[in-house]
Amino acid sequence: MEDLAEVTIDHARKLGAEFADLRLEHEAGTNIVVMDGKTKTMSAQTESGCGIRAFLGGAWGFAVTNTLTRASLRSAAEAAVRMAKAGRSRTKINFGILPSKSVRVRETYRCRERPSSVRLEEKVEFVLSLDRSIRISDPRISSANSRYDDLEVTRTIANSFGTLARIEERWTLAACSAWAKSEGVVQKGHASVGNVGGYELMRRDESAAVGDQAAAQALRLLDSKPAPAGKFTCILDQKMTGLMAHEAFGHACEADAILAGASVLENRVGKRVADESINLYDDPTMKSTFGYFSLDWEGVKARRHSLIENGVLKGFMHNLETGSRMGTASNGSARAQSYNTPPIIRMSNTFIGPGTWKKDELFDEVRKGLLLQGSQYGYVEPAKGQFMFKCDEAYEIRNGELGQRHRDVSLSGVILDVLNNVKAIADDFVLTDPGYCGKGGQIARTTDGGPHICITDVVVGGLS
Amino acid sequence: MADIIQLAERTVKHVMKLGASHCDVLVADSTHIVAEIEKSSIKQASEISDIGVCIRAFRNGCSGFAYSTGHDFDVVKRVARLAFSQASAGTPDPDFRDLPEPRRTVRVSGLFDKKLASLEPDDVVEMAISLSDTASADKRITSVNAGVGVGWGEAALVNSNGIRGFQKMTAFEISAEAVARSGRSMFSAMDGGSTRRLDLGLIDRIGENAKNHALMGLKQARLSTGDLPVIFDPLSIGFILLGAIGGGANADSIQRKRSYLAGRLGQTIGSPGLTITDDPTVAWSSGSYSFDGEGVPAKKKVLMGNGKLRSYLYDSYTSAKDSVENTGNSSRGGALWSFRHQPSISCSNLIVNEGDFRFDEMVRETGEGVFLRTTFDHPNLATGDFSGLMMESYLIHKGELGPSLKQSTIGINLIDLFSRVDMVGKDSVDAFGVMTPPLRISKARVAGSG
Repeated sequence: MEDLAEVTIDHARKLGAEFADLRLEHEAGTNIVVMDGKTKTMSAQTESGCGIRAFLGGAWGFAVTNTLTRASLRSAAEAAVRMAKAGRSRTKINFGILPSKSVRVRETYRCRERPSSVRLEEKVEFVLSLDRSIRISDPRISSANSRYDDLEVTRTIANSFGTLARIEERWTLAACSAWAKSEGVVQKGHASVGNVGGYELMRRDESAAVGDQAAAQALRLLDSKPAPAGKFTCILDQKMTGLMAHEAFGHACEADAILAGASVLENRVGKRVADESINLYDDPTMKSTFGYFSLDWEGVKARRHSLIENGVLKGFMHNLETGSRMGTASNGSARAQSYNTPPIIRMSNTFIGPGTWKKDELFDEVRKGLLLQGSQYGYVEPAKGQFMFKCDEAYEIRNGELGQRHRDVSLSGVILDVLNNVKAIADDFVLTDPGYCGKGGQIARTTDGGPHICITDVVVGGLS
Repeated sequence: MADIIQLAERTVKHVMKLGASHCDVLVADSTHIVAEIEKSSIKQASEISDIGVCIRAFRNGCSGFAYSTGHDFDVVKRVARLAFSQASAGTPDPDFRDLPEPRRTVRVSGLFDKKLASLEPDDVVEMAISLSDTASADKRITSVNAGVGVGWGEAALVNSNGIRGFQKMTAFEISAEAVARSGRSMFSAMDGGSTRRLDLGLIDRIGENAKNHALMGLKQARLSTGDLPVIFDPLSIGFILLGAIGGGANADSIQRKRSYLAGRLGQTIGSPGLTITDDPTVAWSSGSYSFDGEGVPAKKKVLMGNGKLRSYLYDSYTSAKDSVENTGNSSRGGALWSFRHQPSISCSNLIVNEGDFRFDEMVRETGEGVFLRTTFDHPNLATGDFSGLMMESYLIHKGELGPSLKQSTIGINLIDLFSRVDMVGKDSVDAFGVMTPPLRISKARVAGSG
């Protein structure tokens, strides 16, 4: 396949591409869903295909084929160049792609037990056991959903700078949702584990506990009340801090948003954008995490990004294009969901670094406020600098003590305000649950994290 | 056409020979051309060819699903073995009765537009440029990020009961985000739309809307927390209804008692002015089809009639479990069906019946309140509670639209939302597959930083 990749890149160059790259992938995966004691869906995927890009004077052409013959790859290269020419004729922004260091590597990401080597029946029994753990936990459990995913990918990356790399990547994930019902009230809980690696993760105690965690959360929420609305001092747990790091700042630090004129962080490198206690990182090199990779999807070596240091914006996440246009090199942040989508700038493991406070000291600081715990989802509009994220559960804080439990609490804020309102950061850093981030119609596996933090003047949305 | 139907038929025979009790096979072949605009300039043009086969095999009521790219029959045979082994490894399911039987076909017009399918990459690039030019036609617009996508494809669906269906479909999708600046003020607004035919008027409408709202939002205000009437734009109520009804009325969630609509069939859950149907037969709508993802002929059904919950959304499995008629709501994902998508329950096109009010009348009548144009939050389907960010919203003051609202949220239970609808607009727009006019509710909890 490496030979075919190089021949195809050469063909695109001969047709006029100033730069060309491709990703040629084989994917095989399994998905098992068990609902209420029975397998609901059992699925297997087998994908092969190639996505090729051609660049010409400021415009990209992208073409995809899932027929991996020499002829079809040549044809896809021709289509990519044709598309680039169609774009170049009307582009208003002209630039070139700065040469990057070529990489010739073959690497297999750490995996002790390949998912494909594990019998399907064993995987099914594992998911059934998660389902059982939910359903037997309490008679108030009314429904259960347990899921297992694995994927094995062989990705060949080649470009006209001479890069030719082959990555063998495997990842596994288990996730559970539980519904509990009491006196007409239904509540839902969820939990998950996952990482880049093999089936060995599923054999650990933390994986077996996922069902119990989901059930416990659903049961806890049964006596919760709808959330209050208004402005509060809030303590965010590690999951919510991670979600905030990702949504509130991570997306705005993606350099494609800067070039699109759609980020409030434009022209702010070197300036203070957060309280000086804030350090924000995106680090794909943390092994055994769900956001791990060593080589990005453009063939650039991944590295840790220090985005905010002591409250000062230090830089952005770049790919080959943004690095070229902004006068710096790519720092290995390009990722694609699959061969049939073009690489775009994505986060990996995004987190706020630990502070010096003890967690209990944070609570002592709050006379009246909310503890926001567990993350559901969030989104951001980097142009306005506005973000929203939703937590699983919230608790009133009165004079440092936890009180009434609330559900469906959403938190909204403005990027340039929120991190200036940080009052204290605890020292209890953790990288939390795996998740998927959506952008440009693609999803990427990610992890977020951080310590407990205390923020003032947070706008909380609720029903009461 | 003949080739992919023959491949589907041959595959069904092969799966049944392996020992499956039932199976269905989808063979799909599609092409997409997409042009993307970044900061008012063409950034990328793409051509994506996507062909593949998916197989759903059953054994002891358990289904196994497998798919592969390509149409090579040797690969398809491997996929068949995978699907069958998946079905064999699962638990028996006595609730599975049968796959659909062949029924009289329904002819739905407006699924395929020859003009759209004959577009060249240059044509799509020109449309994207036109969209960008429209959206940036004001010196205060500093950036437009947009995309135009066209797609065409064909899908053959065959099952072991003799269903043999073939559909050709096209898709046209447009989105635009405009960023406006004036002094220290900055605001962005988006719009989007989809149809199955080439509609150049849609490009103008989306571009104009993105531009006009970006400019409208430059004047900004903060809101204090309180209860206020809210007018929902089709973009915001369409997005909410997609989850609230499209997800909430899913019969599988109902049967598992995971939805706030479980046990409410026949009950009044909305105001008398609110009627919502699911209709896959609407010409040129993106969610239309002549048969659903299991081969059941398309049909229109009322989900909420004058505020009363009339029906859930069923596929073959859930309808058999409830011993009711299958509503034909099995989806294969998106306007162009995908072999990667397992059959699952989904709405087709949700239609909210129009009322009598023009938008300006609704604003005038409201006096003091909020106009919510966009939100991207999802309701909690277990409880029906909805709380989220008002991504783009405006103050209504003295019967007129005022400044955009900074950092404000809305919270309401969905049953309250439906019940408090007291004005239904007369001008519908297709938003996220929901054809809806603006709706006004008498009050919701809104929170702000003011």
